[in-house]
Amino acid sequence: MPMLELRNVQSHYGNVQALKGVSLHVERGEIVTLLGANGAGKSTTLRNISGLIPPSSGDIFFDGKPINRISPEKIVRMGLAHVPEGRRIFPGLTVKENIMIGTTARGRLQRRQMEAEVEEMYGIFPDLRRLSDALGWSLSGGQQQMLAVARGLMSKPKLLLLDEPSLGLAPIIVQQLFATIRSIRSHGTTVLLVEQNANMALSVADRGYVLATGNVLVEGTPAQLLGNEEVRAAYLGGGKRALAD
Amino acid sequence: MTNVSASNKPVPAPERSTNPLDPTRPRAPNRRRAGRIIALIVIATLIALIPFIFKLSPYVLNIFMQAATYAIAVLGMTVVLGYTGQINLAQATFFGLGAYAVGLGTVVLGLNFWLALVMGIGVAALAGFVLGLTTLRLGGHYLAMITISFQQIFNLVLVNWSGVTQGPDGVSGIARPSLFGLRFSDDRAYLLLCTVFLYAAMYFVWWLPQTRTGRAMRAIRENELAAEVTGIDTLRVKVIAFTLSSALGGIGGALFASGFAYISPDNFDFSRSVEFLTMVLLGGAQSAFGGVLGTSLLIVLPEWLRFLKEIYLAVYGLAVILIMVFLPTGIWGLIRARLDRYKKPTPVDISAIATLDLDIPVTDPSPILSLENLEKHFGGVKAVDGITLEVMRGTVHTLIGPNGSGKTTMLNVLNGIYKATGGNIKFDGVDITHTKPHERAGLGIGRTFQNIRLFPLMSVIENVMVGAQRANNPVGDGQLALRERALSALKFVDMADHAERMVKNLPYGHQRLVEIARALAGHPSFLLLDEPAAGLNQTEKQKLGELLKRLKGHGLTVFLIEHDIGLVEQVSDTITVLNFGKKIAEGEPAYVLRHPDVMAAYLGETAHANA
Repeated sequence: MPMLELRNVQSHYGNVQALKGVSLHVERGEIVTLLGANGAGKSTTLRNISGLIPPSSGDIFFDGKPINRISPEKIVRMGLAHVPEGRRIFPGLTVKENIMIGTTARGRLQRRQMEAEVEEMYGIFPDLRRLSDALGWSLSGGQQQMLAVARGLMSKPKLLLLDEPSLGLAPIIVQQLFATIRSIRSHGTTVLLVEQNANMALSVADRGYVLATGNVLVEGTPAQLLGNEEVRAAYLGGGKRALAD
Repeated sequence: MTNVSASNKPVPAPERSTNPLDPTRPRAPNRRRAGRIIALIVIATLIALIPFIFKLSPYVLNIFMQAATYAIAVLGMTVVLGYTGQINLAQATFFGLGAYAVGLGTVVLGLNFWLALVMGIGVAALAGFVLGLTTLRLGGHYLAMITISFQQIFNLVLVNWSGVTQGPDGVSGIARPSLFGLRFSDDRAYLLLCTVFLYAAMYFVWWLPQTRTGRAMRAIRENELAAEVTGIDTLRVKVIAFTLSSALGGIGGALFASGFAYISPDNFDFSRSVEFLTMVLLGGAQSAFGGVLGTSLLIVLPEWLRFLKEIYLAVYGLAVILIMVFLPTGIWGLIRARLDRYKKPTPVDISAIATLDLDIPVTDPSPILSLENLEKHFGGVKAVDGITLEVMRGTVHTLIGPNGSGKTTMLNVLNGIYKATGGNIKFDGVDITHTKPHERAGLGIGRTFQNIRLFPLMSVIENVMVGAQRANNPVGDGQLALRERALSALKFVDMADHAERMVKNLPYGHQRLVEIARALAGHPSFLLLDEPAAGLNQTEKQKLGELLKRLKGHGLTVFLIEHDIGLVEQVSDTITVLNFGKKIAEGEPAYVLRHPDVMAAYLGETAHANA
């Protein structure tokens, strides 16, 4: 039984159809990435999975249970966390409080365990340790992005949905972030990753899907996707240039 | 309008009967439009003539009169709250100023009604102007408190300055006006006069949003900071909104006074302001029809629900809460959404759009921008700590650095969102250190934001038109010129086919492109781009790189913040590296990207290997 399965999911914004029947699956312990141009439906797919937008038709199974009619709060409690794009942090809370809030869905934690886990996040994002007592709004854009990812990781989910985690981060931090994504997996969390930085995403992923205008275009291993000339040209930044970069 | 909901007569029927015309829609949009206008005029005339067609009791006529005069004041709320997004809890004050001008002017001073009316509008508009000026420093709940205080002071003056206002007793015996020897003493005739005024006000408020000023108002509602940076003098537009709103309040009040012959302070107290607020929210704050619909409902409903009299305000309160929760766009918003479902956007003929003219002559060899020892401190934090740099004309100058090194802060100081703590900024030879953001936009400084700041509830083309209407834009002022400029800018970024879509429904990457188009529509000579490649995939990034090079080719100077090193290397002429608010390296890409300090602080090991 896959950890996550989407069967022919359709979704609309008003009268614009964003997903035209997406089917995909994520196996336990996998890192799967969704690629595609802007407007292909990647973020919409994640929002459908985490319940932020109810799909107009189709089925979504998480751990074998249907979740397409369940509220986002309940889905989080089932062990599915979503770090949306665009740095949704709590501006009036300190960095540390923002991180700790990520554990809400896990119930009450021992103080010592909480401290240890916060410390783990500081290990991944050393900038956040320095800013521990700063209020969320005072962080720069990139620092807010780190904080949002850290908060998502704190929920220790079975499945983590990451929507463009590298957005606005300095290259040195992006490298750390992808190393972190690898280590999250080795700690037993399955990851579904949306990224524009396709080369980076495929370097950590086990499998990838390429979406186009609300449909799954191709599915395959990173090697297969990178080897597909059509996919490369259209979605990964054509030819040899991208590699040289 | 007001009369329809009251009488429940089959007036809406003509509207339905025009629908059979629909099959001709795709071929003859003009004919359909003409048909709709004729239908609207027929309905409006029928409504205005209801009192002459049906026999109505004086009591019902009074209710209609109340609805018509209130509705004019509520249309003022549409302008200030619905369009501009500024809270106003003092509309009854302006209504009262109009009413007292007519009351005291005709009864005490013996002036002609029309002269008193003009005076009332003038006094109300002046008061609105003054209130509007307070928005310089205050917004949101502070503005709400200011308007409430304004309202309370007005009431205290009415009650206590009895030598002039006749105190709590009010003014009685206010006469009806006459025009060309025709006296409006008959209630039906006077109601017709009010209806004509109401129609004129509705037309004005309906027409306003499509104008330059109306678009600026809506932009302020959607994102005030972005509006200012795009070149809108936000204070001026907000003052205009308050002035127009209070003038409409004054007209309504003046007609009210003469209609009811008697006015007293309790007609114009805080609860009346709340009532106006409720009416505009209930009906739909963003449309002229909504305001009138809300007024009609809230005037007629209590007549049907008389037994509620004592808990009248409580019902209003409950209505506000329920509407805010379930119908954030009001009743008209709901109707509008239904209607929009059947509306097909007119396809844009992309091949007919002119190529965007971006040319900036580069003849002057002096730097376009020079910063001297620029500083920005927040409390003890030195976000920008003594930066001196020069940006040469027609180049791409890139700012890189770790997260939190002060890049975005520097951009915000450059276009005036933050005031510099020290140092100075020279743009094109002029010291702009102390100018406002919209003034800098007027000099040709364009900007996009790291966390996209568009006007989400406006269409793509409207967003870009706001960019085109900055001061001193060489493209011209007319509606048509603005629209053409906006379409050209959209075509330039390949978004022309999305022109009529609502911005909030666009995916992230497309919103970025619209933001760039908005900046380009203003024909900038200097463009500040804050992480334009964020959220774009590799292919789109390459396109962006080519676009930046094209811009440079036209003579534009681009000042760029970007983390995508591939892109930075591809487009930059000069790179400046910041760390902790200080410059740690500067020069050509080949030099800077191999600088050991830069690699240690920013690029990291892998990039090192790749580079």
